[in-house]
Amino acid sequence: MIGRIGKWIDERAHLGQLWQSQMSDYKVPKNLTFPYAFGIMALVAFAIQVITGIFLTMYYQPDINRAFDSVNYTIMRDVPFMWLIRQIHAAGANFFLAVVYLHIFTGIYYNAYKKPRELTWIVGWLIYFVLLMTALTGYLLPWGQLSYWGMVVTAEIPTSIDSAPIIGKLKIGETIAIWMRGGYEIGQITLGRFFGLHIWLLPLLLMGLVMFHLYLVRAAGITSPDGREIDKKKEGVPFHPYITLKEGAFLMGYLALFFYFVFFHMSHFLPADNYDPADPFRTPAHIAPEWYLLAYYTVFRSIPDKFLGFVAFNLILILLLVLPFLDFSPKRSARNRPLFFALFVLLIVSSMALTILGTMQPTTTNAILGLIFTLGVFAFFIGVPIISYIELRQYRAKGG
Amino acid sequence: MIKSVFFTLLIGGFFFILWIKNPFLHREVYEVPAQQAKIASDTTNHASEGKTLFQSYCQACHSVRYDGVYLSAIEANPKFADLKQQYGKLIPLDVYKSVFSEDLKALKDSFGKVPPDLSTMYLVKGQGYLYNYILNPNQVLPGTSMPKVIDDPTQTAKIVAYLKSVSEPAEREKEKRAMMGIGTIAYFTVMGFLIYIWRRGVLKRKGLL
Amino acid sequence: MESSRRDFLGMAVMGMGLTGLAFALYPFVMSLAPSAASLQGARVEVDINSLPEGQVRVFSWKGKPVFVVKLPQGFSWGGSVRSAQNQSLLKGQDVYAMIAVCTHLGCVPIWKPQGEGDFKFPVFHCPCHGGYYSPWGDVIAGPPPKSLSLPPQSREANKLVIGQEGFIKEQT
Repeated sequence: MIGRIGKWIDERAHLGQLWQSQMSDYKVPKNLTFPYAFGIMALVAFAIQVITGIFLTMYYQPDINRAFDSVNYTIMRDVPFMWLIRQIHAAGANFFLAVVYLHIFTGIYYNAYKKPRELTWIVGWLIYFVLLMTALTGYLLPWGQLSYWGMVVTAEIPTSIDSAPIIGKLKIGETIAIWMRGGYEIGQITLGRFFGLHIWLLPLLLMGLVMFHLYLVRAAGITSPDGREIDKKKEGVPFHPYITLKEGAFLMGYLALFFYFVFFHMSHFLPADNYDPADPFRTPAHIAPEWYLLAYYTVFRSIPDKFLGFVAFNLILILLLVLPFLDFSPKRSARNRPLFFALFVLLIVSSMALTILGTMQPTTTNAILGLIFTLGVFAFFIGVPIISYIELRQYRAKGG
Repeated sequence: MIKSVFFTLLIGGFFFILWIKNPFLHREVYEVPAQQAKIASDTTNHASEGKTLFQSYCQACHSVRYDGVYLSAIEANPKFADLKQQYGKLIPLDVYKSVFSEDLKALKDSFGKVPPDLSTMYLVKGQGYLYNYILNPNQVLPGTSMPKVIDDPTQTAKIVAYLKSVSEPAEREKEKRAMMGIGTIAYFTVMGFLIYIWRRGVLKRKGLL
Repeated sequence: MESSRRDFLGMAVMGMGLTGLAFALYPFVMSLAPSAASLQGARVEVDINSLPEGQVRVFSWKGKPVFVVKLPQGFSWGGSVRSAQNQSLLKGQDVYAMIAVCTHLGCVPIWKPQGEGDFKFPVFHCPCHGGYYSPWGDVIAGPPPKSLSLPPQSREANKLVIGQEGFIKEQT
């Protein structure tokens, strides 16, 4: 019976064909390493956010007088199991970003941004950017002290443009800040628009971009860890069941770790200060952006000039976007490029150091350290074209 | 292989510092004597006593809205019963603020600000801070407008136990949640291994391994 | 032997996957269950002295409208009902509460102290499909299948407490 229904549907939808072309006949390199699984983990993390998010909107009230109570009373205490759904959503946001960061670094390590995958990388960058916006808008919604003051500080960052020499007179930064908040202060208007953006526009955008990203991955094929493109007709293993089951097993491990945090270690994802309702007249003692923005924040904070700091952290984002065009070496994957490997280690260590510096007090030593690691990050982006040039010369000398 | 170990340790260490224990983050530690700490943690036995103490010492200035405990002046207000009937335990903040604006203003005039609601205070400040602060407000937070109202350490601990009972799920509920957590983690671990073993079989049959 | 073991593994993965899915759905489905707050307000006190005799007042209990009826002393009623279920349950009570939801399709009946149509005595008339109830909520005529539901209620001197076990123990 079920078989006949399935056949009836397949005669009309040709889903079997789709499955064949995309899963069981689709060939990928056999030697994919563990970090390749971060992609599927990110996809699952996104799905978790969407489902839990939809349930949270049923009880959340985007009203400055009621938002805090709707989260901390209705959701956390009143409605059965909503505490779990909120904890999954809160921890899920952090895990989503963590996995996306790991996915990005994996992409850099294996040079997955190189031709013909530049567009995949650019779309991925857009996903990352929209994801940061989604996280930022969502952070305001519980209307706790950290939500409120985090946004106060964030909305001040564009005003850095106004301390620039000439264009500062135009007050562009202030205009951006006012438009972000919908006024001079963070209030009902801000909460309302952030709610709308967080639950509708940004997730829809994200969904579209993720689908396009996945399509591009299929179109261009998956890189191989050793940097050699496979000939799909002669080699490679079928995506299903070879990769699906392998990454499925990794995914289960990821979920086990994730649920450990959800059930037993929420203190970082639901920080104590955010259980304090927003109070525009009192700043909490410890205030720093969430960890996924801390590296940029430390760059911004370490550079003594406000405008230059602003330029520096935006430059990092832009350099990340144009990375495919900075790296024009004929070689692929850090496995074959010892110089690139060294630069990669410099990048990852610097970014981590910047993030951790962001959690510390802003002392002079920390500012100097921040400056050093900022240079480390920029050294990567300057180093990549240089070593590309060296490698290109070697390649040509060998008669490539 | 060395590279894998290096990156695993690097990433593991990074997230350990961020998410589990940050040695660079300095937080004040407030000591509670062992005997009082035991009372303050034991919500099952001391929360209801703590509530009575709260009502006699603290309710004049502090509400615990999530437990349906409002300022004494407001509970005496004739409008209060109607609102409670209409909304139940938790009167929405906007309604609360506008209906009882006079009572709240009276408090604001004498303390400089409306003393905070304590429904989630235990989650914000934790046991140590609350215990020490209630016993010696000015020592913990110099310049605070809160007067010292209690001398007895045991009574203070009981009030802390009450605040904990409002902020955190009850012990039985916590145990239930922990069991759910263990079950979920066990499920994914077993499932992961099962898929891995199953995969070997499937691949062998297809000649892929 | 080898193949049966593989099949067993496949079945185990499938079975566990389906079980996992069911468990994952559980919290989401359960979150749709009534919240603690919505179960509150399940106790309503009515001051009897404030009620006019021979009249009906509407209160809200568990989100439903509830009629509180106060019969005049020595009240006599001339109609006949299909089943005097409520009347016997409410025997001896001059003040009582009934859930004001027509048992036919959920409309709120209207109290007609002067009678309505063929019935020249006090009745509840449901305007939606023409159901008629006696002052005790028993069906006189029309489509309603059974008498109006009675909430648990008790009498304390001058107060009628709806939602507390008393002369009516549980909702009918």
